[in-house]
Amino acid sequence: MAKKSVWSDNRFWQRTAAWITGFASVLLIWLTFDTSGQIVMGNDADLQNGVTKRVPGPTVINYKITYEMDAKRKHEVPVIGEKEMFFGKDDWNEEEAAALLHLGKLASQTKNCMNCHTLLGNGAYYAPDLTKAWLDPAWQETGPMQAMTGKSTKEEAMAEFLQNPSKYPTHARMMPNLGITADEAKGLVAFLKHMSSIDTNGFPRNFGKIQGAVNGK
Amino acid sequence: MGVMIEPFVDIVPSFFGTLAQGPLTLTIFLHTVIVLPMIWIYKQEKARLEQEGN
Amino acid sequence: MANSYLTSESKKLATWYFTFAAIIFGAQLLFGLVAAIQYVESSFLFEVLDFSVARMLHINALVVWMVFAMFGSVYWLLPDETGIETVGIGLGKLLFWIFAAAIVVVVLVYLFIQVGPANETSIWFIHEGREYIEAPRWADYGITVVALGFVANLYMTGMKGKQSGVVTVLMADMIAFAGLYLTGMFYTDNITIDQFWWWWVIHLWVEATWEVFVGSIAAYGLITMIGAHRKVVEMWLWIEVTMLFGSGILGIGHHYFWIGTPEYWWEIGALFSALEPLPLVAMFIHVLYDWGKMQGEQDAQGKEMSVITNKPAFTWFVLNAFGNFLGAGIWGFFHTLPQVNLYTHGTQFTSAHGHLAFFGAYATILVGMMYIGVQGKNGIKILNNTTSTIFATSMIVGGVLGMTVALTVAGYSDVIISRAQMGATWEGYFSAQTTTWLLQGMYWRLIMGAVTFIGFLFLVKDLLTIGKAANHVR
Repeated sequence: MAKKSVWSDNRFWQRTAAWITGFASVLLIWLTFDTSGQIVMGNDADLQNGVTKRVPGPTVINYKITYEMDAKRKHEVPVIGEKEMFFGKDDWNEEEAAALLHLGKLASQTKNCMNCHTLLGNGAYYAPDLTKAWLDPAWQETGPMQAMTGKSTKEEAMAEFLQNPSKYPTHARMMPNLGITADEAKGLVAFLKHMSSIDTNGFPRNFGKIQGAVNGK
Repeated sequence: MGVMIEPFVDIVPSFFGTLAQGPLTLTIFLHTVIVLPMIWIYKQEKARLEQEGN
Repeated sequence: MANSYLTSESKKLATWYFTFAAIIFGAQLLFGLVAAIQYVESSFLFEVLDFSVARMLHINALVVWMVFAMFGSVYWLLPDETGIETVGIGLGKLLFWIFAAAIVVVVLVYLFIQVGPANETSIWFIHEGREYIEAPRWADYGITVVALGFVANLYMTGMKGKQSGVVTVLMADMIAFAGLYLTGMFYTDNITIDQFWWWWVIHLWVEATWEVFVGSIAAYGLITMIGAHRKVVEMWLWIEVTMLFGSGILGIGHHYFWIGTPEYWWEIGALFSALEPLPLVAMFIHVLYDWGKMQGEQDAQGKEMSVITNKPAFTWFVLNAFGNFLGAGIWGFFHTLPQVNLYTHGTQFTSAHGHLAFFGAYATILVGMMYIGVQGKNGIKILNNTTSTIFATSMIVGGVLGMTVALTVAGYSDVIISRAQMGATWEGYFSAQTTTWLLQGMYWRLIMGAVTFIGFLFLVKDLLTIGKAANHVR
């Protein structure tokens, strides 16, 4: 009788399955520890000392954020610049900023943002991606959204829109009124500003850099 | 260093970041350590089958 | 439940699970239609049942009906595989009612409360606002208890009875499936950490543990429906587990390209997830190979009849083998490499993949299990197709394929205009939304969604009446 091949032996494959599953799981757990260390939120001292964190601390709302080409990594990264007013002050302390971000993050979940928008590219595709919404040209001083709300700063314009979205329709598809209060709106804008400061490895590319559209007609 | 080994590109140095030296070094390393022990399992099972065959 | 031929309590419980799953499947399609209409006519139910609510119900119903049908499938096959009645069947029945009642409450809250103020109470009692696992925190704990009870029954039965390879794989798989849910039950202000763990639930469910579950069910189906040899089927199953977990566990890296996680995930995610289609090819070959082999053996004996003892269910199992490969494998591979995903991430392209993958990989085989349930309940030896079976199958499959193609086409303009050309801004987004490709794509998606829904009505009719048809062998 010909020798039985190991390749058609159940026990061989059972042991292989057990080994590969087990070891891949161990590697994933190890990688998770490695990654977790890199994605914890930074703090105010990091920001003051210019320490780059993938996810900066909440007081990043005190600074101007831009999205610039990194010479070494060859894609855009968020750059934290000089101090900038945010709802009338640029000295939000760690506690205040953390509380505001907490409120905003809670609002982003309880108002179900993710089932129309994408956050960091994840969610639904019924409304624009919010990853870098804070940096969107439409909300800058010269942008149409800020002008529409009649507010003089980006954060106030965004907060106004969030509270009365159907008052400022930009397209037939509108954002519904979600009962967002003035405080929640402020928190949400802080949350958006903070999210724009997260290092997303260059996603999305060319954000707000290219003007003019192609028309698919 | 030359072209084959790149300087660190990620923003925070880490064990796995260090293994990522140029294209695919990290993932090929991980694939290898996952798959190589199959040789050992293979040999054991082959020995077992031969024993049972006698 | 009158006139049931079932003597096993486990199988009776399975039919409850299948019934509830089918109802929730209907709800999934209905809310999907609402969302699809809103893409075409955005004033539809505006500020009554907004897209966010319809979509949340659409995807939550999807997850829930599948979990119900999965639990049902396990309760169905346990007596056959272990040779004994399921241990703890009373607990199983109690948990069924708790689970079903909890789901009804959650759905009613989604529908009528929709959003709450930004505080922990809303997270605990309304929803958590995290795609796919929106269920409020109280329900998280309820689901955990139900899942643990289910796993306990599986373990007690598996250890007491005969422990086949299929049962061994299910035991290992289902405890991971239940355990992973725990990693999605916390709140954090750090959205990167939030999404990191969120993918532990979503990815390790649908691209690892659920796939292995499908492998086990397919193995059971091949043994029971065409009489495939257990030793061969179980060897394939172990190979599939090897390849599914070997590629799928670290394949999670393809969700860690752009959420704030380190760059090394680019290469881990790229290469491991690129291998994810391989086991799906293997499963497809396996099903067709075994079918051909068994039919060939029978033909050689000069018997001129099919080896298949349940035609509708086997059709759905074959559709699963192909749909899993096509939807999860091909459509997934399309956008898994970082250089592609940079532009496809978070577009209608993702949606196209999502529709075909969930349908091809999971809906198909679970519908197949429902037909196996109908066969057993009616004491039928060979279950044949009815006209409704043909209509249901072709309309559902055609509808979902149509939706996938429509969304893929819509995805072209989303990817090219919104991501590549205009850098994902507000203006870029709406520029893409107003192109002919996207607008027509959304019309086609709605039409094909309606086709799918009509197919679903045929399916319900068929599941309810096929047992009484005269063309079966009893």
